[in-house]
Amino acid sequence: MKSSPLKTAFLYTVLVAMSVVALFPIYWMLNTSLKSNAEIYRIDPTFWPETFTLESYRKLFEGPFPTQIGNSLLVGFVVSVLSIAVSVFAAYAIARMRFRGRKAISKSVLYAYLMPRAVLFIPLYMLVSRLQLADSLWALVLVYPTITIPYATWILVPYFASVPVELEEAAMIDGAGRLRAMLQITLPLSAPAIAATTVFSFTLCWSEYLYGLVMINSFDKKTIPLGLADMINGDVFAWGPLMGGAVIATLPIVALYLAANRWMVSGLALGGVK
Amino acid sequence: MTLYLVLIMALPLLWAVWISFTDKRVGAPGELIGFTNYTDVLTDPLFWRTAWNTLVFTLGAVVLKLIFGMAMALALNERFRGRALFRVLLFLPWTVPTIVSVFAWQWMFSDVGGAFNAILRGVGLADEPVPWLTDPKMAMLSVIAVNVWRGTPFIGIALLAGLSAVSQEQYEAARVDGTNVFQRFLHITLPSIRNVAMLAAVITTIWTLNDFEIIWLLTRGGPADATQVFSTLSYTIGFQNLDIAKATTISILSIPPLIVLINYVTKRTLKDQD
Repeated sequence: MKSSPLKTAFLYTVLVAMSVVALFPIYWMLNTSLKSNAEIYRIDPTFWPETFTLESYRKLFEGPFPTQIGNSLLVGFVVSVLSIAVSVFAAYAIARMRFRGRKAISKSVLYAYLMPRAVLFIPLYMLVSRLQLADSLWALVLVYPTITIPYATWILVPYFASVPVELEEAAMIDGAGRLRAMLQITLPLSAPAIAATTVFSFTLCWSEYLYGLVMINSFDKKTIPLGLADMINGDVFAWGPLMGGAVIATLPIVALYLAANRWMVSGLALGGVK
Repeated sequence: MTLYLVLIMALPLLWAVWISFTDKRVGAPGELIGFTNYTDVLTDPLFWRTAWNTLVFTLGAVVLKLIFGMAMALALNERFRGRALFRVLLFLPWTVPTIVSVFAWQWMFSDVGGAFNAILRGVGLADEPVPWLTDPKMAMLSVIAVNVWRGTPFIGIALLAGLSAVSQEQYEAARVDGTNVFQRFLHITLPSIRNVAMLAAVITTIWTLNDFEIIWLLTRGGPADATQVFSTLSYTIGFQNLDIAKATTISILSIPPLIVLINYVTKRTLKDQD
């Protein structure tokens, strides 16, 4: 069907307007991070930096921020690798095997996925302090899988289920055990989903704030979101470095999404709404 | 894995229920005091104020996200040049870490150097800076705006997934019958995506109901508790007043509506998994 020029014009107007709203805050953050302090605090701000300077980034890297980047990378990496290892087996079992309690398990995974952090943060804080892990990165490594495992499992189940059982059965007739059939047939066929899920798990850890806020106090153990939040505590708002830090916190995530855009969107849609 | 989930989610929750019947404070063991916390909380006007705010925040944000998400999905479902690009652009707010979007907006809300007030002054709409976060009514609107900005892409993508499954023949047949755009939307589009839309709406409601970052970082629940919601109130009481037992009680009181919502999703989602 052919659409009329009027309709096309209307469509583009709507889309451009929505894009401006979607992108402006991100642009503004980048814009601010590249200005000098004097230019940032003008009553009428400039919509394009008059003089580009990396001053804000220099200041940012003089503080605890580099250590905090390291913490975020470490926690994100360890937790996402661990969670994927666990989730692959859990999701495979739910998708493929018929065993007693399968329904209950898949229900509990969904429950865990949807149970919000705002409900669990106090009991988890108590658990962590009882284990003497408060104010250490171990606390986050212990607690973040409660977010990432249910999430990753939930996304992987439909992918595994969509791989034809016949392929595995053929391999098993040829003498492969179930484990080998899974490792050689189903996993490679679901590789994009597994990669996407790993990226998602990493970004969940990378962006997490509430659990970190409750469990970590020391500057040198904080993750990026906590480090950024410290910059606005108190009366002096260091907007330049803060926006610089925000840009740095965003770049890897956006880069990952763009690189894997295709499976990201379908993965997200699957995870949220089957 | 189920064992891990039980250990780290279910047990802490049960423990939390226990704590809510004690007078535990941070760093001190508690003693059983029966229903005192519950009667205290339920007779506190601040609790009811918070319940009302949570309702306003959640309903307002979810309704707006559904409207904008629907517009986004309908626009992106058309065939036009640059569709892939617009999909990526409109999706970006969802990928940016929440904390980053909060800071970008907070900076735009600022009196000095803030983009919003500068734009309003520039086009002659306001002489005085608008009190985005310091006026009780405006503060609620502002936190809703940030939540909507961030959450709309999720709804948009979910609805888009639903829309792309609607068969084109149905539209063609209806077109031949002489229906107009609105009739087709009402009688074909809406019924076909009803399930996806309901699921997306319920999941978003769960997330919005427990939003912490946006409100905590922008207003700390203020001014004068105007944006206090369950998550921020429970954090304030637990970690600033150090009254863990009362904070836990508030968390627990926010669970029943969640259970109802999560049950809805579980029922709907697990039904078509078998």
